[in-house]
Amino acid sequence: MTLEKEENIVRQILEKAPYAEGKVRRVRRIEFHIPVERIREFLTLLKESNFETMMQITAVDWIKDGDIELVYQMWSYTHAVHAFVKTRIPREVEKAKVPSVKDIYPVAETYERDAHEFYKVYFEGNEKLEMPWILEDEDREAGVCHRKDFDMLNYVKRKYKILDRFEEDKENYVI
Amino acid sequence: MVSQEELIREARENGMELLPLDKDTYELFFGPQHMATENYSLILKLDGHRVVKAIANPGFLHRGFEKLAELRPWYTNIALLLRICVPEPDVPEAIYSMAVDELMGWEVPERAQWIRTVVLEMARVTSYLFWTMGLSFKLGVYTAGQWAAAYRERFMALFEQLTGARVYHIYTIPGGVRRDIPGDKWLRQLKDTVEYVKNKLPDFDNILFENYITYNRLEGIGVMDKKFALAEGVTGPNLRATGVKADVRRLDPYLLYPELDFEVPILKEGDSLARALVRRFEIEQDLYILEQLLEMGPPDGPYKVEDPRLKALPRFKVPAGDAYAHVEATTGDFGVYVVSDGGNKPYRVQIRGPSISHGIRVIEQLLVGARIADVPVILMTLGNCPPDIDR
Repeated sequence: MTLEKEENIVRQILEKAPYAEGKVRRVRRIEFHIPVERIREFLTLLKESNFETMMQITAVDWIKDGDIELVYQMWSYTHAVHAFVKTRIPREVEKAKVPSVKDIYPVAETYERDAHEFYKVYFEGNEKLEMPWILEDEDREAGVCHRKDFDMLNYVKRKYKILDRFEEDKENYVI
Repeated sequence: MVSQEELIREARENGMELLPLDKDTYELFFGPQHMATENYSLILKLDGHRVVKAIANPGFLHRGFEKLAELRPWYTNIALLLRICVPEPDVPEAIYSMAVDELMGWEVPERAQWIRTVVLEMARVTSYLFWTMGLSFKLGVYTAGQWAAAYRERFMALFEQLTGARVYHIYTIPGGVRRDIPGDKWLRQLKDTVEYVKNKLPDFDNILFENYITYNRLEGIGVMDKKFALAEGVTGPNLRATGVKADVRRLDPYLLYPELDFEVPILKEGDSLARALVRRFEIEQDLYILEQLLEMGPPDGPYKVEDPRLKALPRFKVPAGDAYAHVEATTGDFGVYVVSDGGNKPYRVQIRGPSISHGIRVIEQLLVGARIADVPVILMTLGNCPPDIDR
């Protein structure tokens, strides 16, 4: 199978966005790396290039690098191509900020709320971030999240006191 | 009889915090225990029986699948992730396996591909029958719902023979499938079942889809147009009901779908009726696909890859990298993003449930102006699966 279609799309987008790095991964999968301050500009460009839908925003916690990677997953019905748009922001909670893209892709609002709750990434311009989402107030105050440094097992033990029963006979209980 | 004002005063005196409301509107918490919402919760502000404002209130089914998946070995995650959406457990199995296959660089054997395709199509038919049951119950046509449940049961029995389990199959695994098909008898039974259900579809038309009451309850309710649907990321039958010919099986083909002949039904109206009818047409296409697959017959060969790394499953490691796989589920475009750091557990797994796009923002907008009786119907025709959102 040739990758002509994918190569053309990547070339055309890179011509308009010289700040980006892009490559073809395989058939129907392309990838871009963008500096975080230009993410809005780049996603506007993608929307003009017939990437109609945002599939999701994934936050990946790279604890060793001290970064949070945001992967905007875009799908184009016109080209039938899936694009990974990756950007990195610092891991510290006060610095983990990125502009919201909900005016470009309205569906992003929901994924931004999700990433804010579970990865503590702040999306500037999304006023729904502070609304109650999945977690209960109690958990949110305790700092429950999906980040790698949050010890979920200990928290569950402390909160529900369920696993302690099993530890009467076993010294180390492992799920 | 105690008046409402007295009740409110009494509640306030007893320390209940009630929201200040306008004179004519009141607030109603709809779900999660309400039967018609299927464990989903909505906060509705109503004026009489009209919805003025709707706020989606997810989180009642959240079990932290994504975090749990990071704590379990690669293979064990199959038994976890398939619990996301009950009517269609084969879809999360299949996408997760496809993503791991891509990371491992495995080419799945032809026989396994054939079996996976059959399983996915059977899952689609069972899921649509389950949905038909739900819609019938919400419209009050209980007979059709009980038929649908009975026909679904025939497929469940076949699943039980194939996988050993009725609902949660744990069958599609990275590298192929867990075990071979039981034999020719099973194939004959599947063929009979497909034919049987196909012959019964006109009955559903008579009692449900061509019913005067159905038309009255669904037509012109919860209308969305093409532009709105694309901007909000709506996928699957809901998008096809607005006139967009989009199907992952055609656009991003996987397994044996490029070799199969089927149509992608579309309608233009974008209302609840169009969404229901698109699903009705799709049952027919899925049964047609199953017929073709059975005619083709399972190819010879192994049913999973022969790889020495599969010998020690808990220590089974996946090379570093990331992959995204998606399939066409009955609720929409179901995807998974898997990141590996080279260890024996995934570094990050994110499930893209189709309901997250139409279950939060879209439903909040579609419900405005609807009657309270339409709320379950709109939820049902959108094919909302709450665990997709609360994964």
